[in-house]
Formats: sequence, structure tokens, C-alpha cells
Amino acid sequence: MLWALRKALTLVSVYFAYMMEYRGEILFWMLSGVAPFFFMSAWSEAARRGLTPYQANDYARYFFAVFVARQLVIVWAHWNLSEDIRSGKLSFRLLQPIDPVWVYLADHLGERGVRLPMMFAITLVFFWLYPHALVWPGAAGACLGALLAALAFGVNFLVSYSIGLLSLWLEDATEIFDLWYVATLFFSGMLAPLSLYPQAVLQVIAWTPFPYLVYAPAGLWSGMEVDWRRGLLALLFWNLFFLLLSRWLWRAGRRHYSAMGA
Amino acid sequence: MEVPLILAQNLSKTFTVAQKDPGLAGTLKHFISRRYLRIAAVRDVSFELQSGEIVGFLGPNGAGKTTTLKMLSGLVRPSEGRVRVLGFEPFRRCAEFLRQITLVMGNKQQLIWDLPVLDSLRINAAVYQIDGHTAKERAREFAALLGLQEILTQPVRKLSLGQRMKAELMASLFHLPKVLFLDEPTLGLDVNAQLAVRDFLKTYRDRYGATILLTSHYMADIEALAERVIVLHRGGILYDGALRGLTDKFSPFREVDLELADDVAAQALAGYGEARKTQRRRYRILVHRQGLMQALAEIMARFDVRDLAVKEPPLDEIIAKVFSEGEV
Repeated sequence: MLWALRKALTLVSVYFAYMMEYRGEILFWMLSGVAPFFFMSAWSEAARRGLTPYQANDYARYFFAVFVARQLVIVWAHWNLSEDIRSGKLSFRLLQPIDPVWVYLADHLGERGVRLPMMFAITLVFFWLYPHALVWPGAAGACLGALLAALAFGVNFLVSYSIGLLSLWLEDATEIFDLWYVATLFFSGMLAPLSLYPQAVLQVIAWTPFPYLVYAPAGLWSGMEVDWRRGLLALLFWNLFFLLLSRWLWRAGRRHYSAMGA
Repeated sequence: MEVPLILAQNLSKTFTVAQKDPGLAGTLKHFISRRYLRIAAVRDVSFELQSGEIVGFLGPNGAGKTTTLKMLSGLVRPSEGRVRVLGFEPFRRCAEFLRQITLVMGNKQQLIWDLPVLDSLRINAAVYQIDGHTAKERAREFAALLGLQEILTQPVRKLSLGQRMKAELMASLFHLPKVLFLDEPTLGLDVNAQLAVRDFLKTYRDRYGATILLTSHYMADIEALAERVIVLHRGGILYDGALRGLTDKFSPFREVDLELADDVAAQALAGYGEARKTQRRRYRILVHRQGLMQALAEIMARFDVRDLAVKEPPLDEIIAKVFSEGEV
């Protein structure tokens, strides 16, 4: 147990150091994720014209929470894994007595260590520009939102990792993740609060992981009505589902690994 | 009878590779109906290694050396046959097995490119469960052996190729593996760096009693390290035995270098073997082993010999000859 903790801490701290080398790139990457602020402007304007059930400040609060939630769940394991499989670099990970998934996870967690302080700075700027949007969701809301965001990251990571593993069969599976992203864009609340979606759509997407990836944590943080119990259970279920899927893909796919280029 | 540390029985590996003709027509054809070719990278290979042996794996590109190493280290699954290393089935990736082996690939690196070598060593120490004090001592010991003391805190990307390869060795051997699979460990290195790597490997073997299976295109590596060689050709074993035996088996000639007092034509020596003049009054004759003593006696009696040396032909020439002929 102690060794497991030491391995985890060492991996995360080394990958944090690695990501610090790319702090500039990470900042630009974060800035490229400001789409929620454009949606915020559009929906706030609609609110000012009385076209929506929410006020402009509600949208400011919600879309800022969406921005934060998105920053916390961003993943790229599919890209790293696909590259490692095609270049043969996966061989080094296979030679070590540790499941490679932990290395890819540490890579993400180390990056969060660099991203979080930058996100804090962006938060300060946002609330300086939009002081009326500043509403504390309460300790319970903040913590529950953080828990849901962590679980949403888990789902996203496992999906990304599973898609990366498809590169053991395909030339390059990275583009498949774009399909996942498109579905996330439309059905996770990134374009609009899900409460504005037609009931029929909501009933269908409730059976998918998408509403819980962004809307659940963002809704909790921004004070919207969110069924957090259902969100928690759904995220736990989808984590388990994609965990089992990724393990199966790993076992089946390893037989196809030819360690080319290595 | 001693249980072999490494056992390969009727080992085969076949890869399925898509074939595509060049040009637009080839691309469209490839899209509609893909052709696959089954390539037998390794065919029915069997050998055993005992603990502490250093064995050189020889063969031209595509002979199946690297694929065999990948099967022995558990990276790829054999299509047929049986492999056991330290009593484990490598493909299962049992942690106890992985803790005792390493694979060094001269054309690849495990070190994290943008961080100092020490950061990669920190990861290895944690992954292989080496405590902090031991890890520090080992880093100091290996750095001293490889002459890397000054560069351990520099980012890997700033190191020269030779330094990187040495650091790579350091990281790969940091957990003191009992079995070393080395695939071209001196690839692209200058002569000094090659020597340093060879010395390090020798010291490591002597100090820790490791078993080493080594491939290299540099015969000097094989000659310096290996007592036994396995020659692979087109996926199968051509020869498995002592390094010296390779010369006897594949080259039945000895090279006689002569310096005579008088300048004679090379034809005068042609009766003893394939003779040629290398300089004024200097000659090289390839004499059959069995007739060597008689030929030397006759030459000494017939000519005024100033200097004489009998050598085995260079190993790389023999190997090249074996590969070009492709048969025993």
C-alpha cells in the first residue's frame, strides 16, 4: 500500500515537472477553450431581450462553471496511447511492472497541477469583469460539484484510453474521439443549460453519460437545479462500464501489438 | 541437469502485413480490396541459455533477432512455440518476471525527453520499489561507471547521443535485472562511447552475474562480450555455438601474412592458396586450415621469410559470407 502511494506520488510529481516545461502551451490550450464565454454572451443577450427563462447573470454564472468543468475533464490519453502504439514506445511501458494506464493517468494529473493555478487566475479576471456572477454555491455544492467533475474526468479518461487502445487494431484511432467530443458538445450542456432542451431529448440522453460530464457539476456550482444523486450514480456506472471496457480492450489488444519501430 | 534460464522451443512469429501498390490506382485498389502478406519473422527457433551466459545474436537486418528478443521479453506473443524466461511465460507480464529483466533498444529510449535523467530514475526507483537510499547509491555507482556524474541533472534532450545511450543503460539496469536483452546497444555511437558501453556491460555482468542476450551489427561488441553466438538467417538458426567455432565452421581458411626478403610475383605463392601482394615484398595468402602446417614449412624452406603471421580472417568477413550464402 505504501509502495502504491509512493509510485502514485512519484509519477504525478515527475509528470507535473514534465508539464511545467509546457506551461506556455498549456496556457494557450486553456485560452483556446473559452468557447463557453461566447455562448455566455449570446445567451445573456437573449436573456436581456426576455427570450429565455434565465437572467443574464444566471448565464454568466453557468457558462463560467461550464468553462471550469471542461478544464477539469479535458483528456488526451487517446492521442498519447495511439502515438506510443504506432511508434513502438509502448514497449517501454510494457517492460515495467506497472500497468501503463497509471502512467497515462499520472500524465493527466500532473498537467492538472499546472492548469489549476492558471484557471484560478482566469477565475479572478472573470469575476473582476462580471462581479454579479459571483455566487458561492455553498461548501456542499462546491464539494459535490468537484466530486462529480472528478468522476466525469474518470469517464472521459477511460473513454479516451479505450479509444487509444483501438490503435492496436486500427492505423490510428485518435479521430474517433472527435465523435465523442461532438456528442459531448451537444448533449453535455456546453451549448446551453440542459434544462432548456426539449423533454424528449432529455429523456433519451439521460441514458447516456453526456448530461453528467459537464452539466451536472456546472449546474451544481452555478446554483441550477441538478439531480446530483442521479448524476453520481450515473457517473459511477459509466466509470465502471468504461473501466471494464478498457480492461477488455487492453487484454484483447495486446495480442495485436507488434512493437513495430522498436 | 541445470534448468535453463531462458528456453525457446520451436518459437515462431508470423506478422500479417498489408500490401499496397504505389500511385492512385494502388491506393484505390488498397481501399477497396486489401491484400495481406503473412511474413514469417521467426521460424521454429529453439535454444537455451544458462545463468550467467553472454550470447551474441547475429544476423542481417530482418533475420528475426529483434522479434525473438521481443518474444523473450514479453512484448509480443509468439505465433507458435514455447518460451520460458526465469521460469515465467513472458507475455503474461507477471510483475515478478518484469522486475528481473530488461530490454535495451539502441534506437529507442525510455527517458523522459524534457526532464533530467534523475527524474526518469526516480520513476524507475518507485516502479521497481527501490528505496530512496539504495536508489541514490545505485545512481552514484552507475554514474561513476559510465562517466555520467555531470549530466544527470541536465534535460535528456540536451545530451549527446552517447550520453543518452549511457543514461538509457543506467535507467534500464537501475533495478539490477538478472536477464538483459540488448538490441543494438551501441548503435550510432562513436568508438569511445562503444568502448564505455561494453566496459559497463562487462562490469555489470561480473558484479551482478547477469545473463545477457545481445544483438549488434558491430562485431567488436560481440567479440568483446559474447562467448557464444546464435546466428539467425531468414528467421531460422544457422549456427549456435562458441564464437571461435563460428570461424572454424564457416571459414576453413587461415590468413597468412608474409614479408619476404625478395620481391616475387604473387603467382609464386599461388600453390599454397589464394595469394595476393599487398605491398612490396608483402603478401597475404588464404591457406586451407588442414594444409596450413605443410604450407608454412614449404614457404619457410623455399623463400627467405623476414616476417610471418597467421591470423583468422576478420569475423565480420566470415559473417558477411555466411549471410550472403545463407546456408551451413
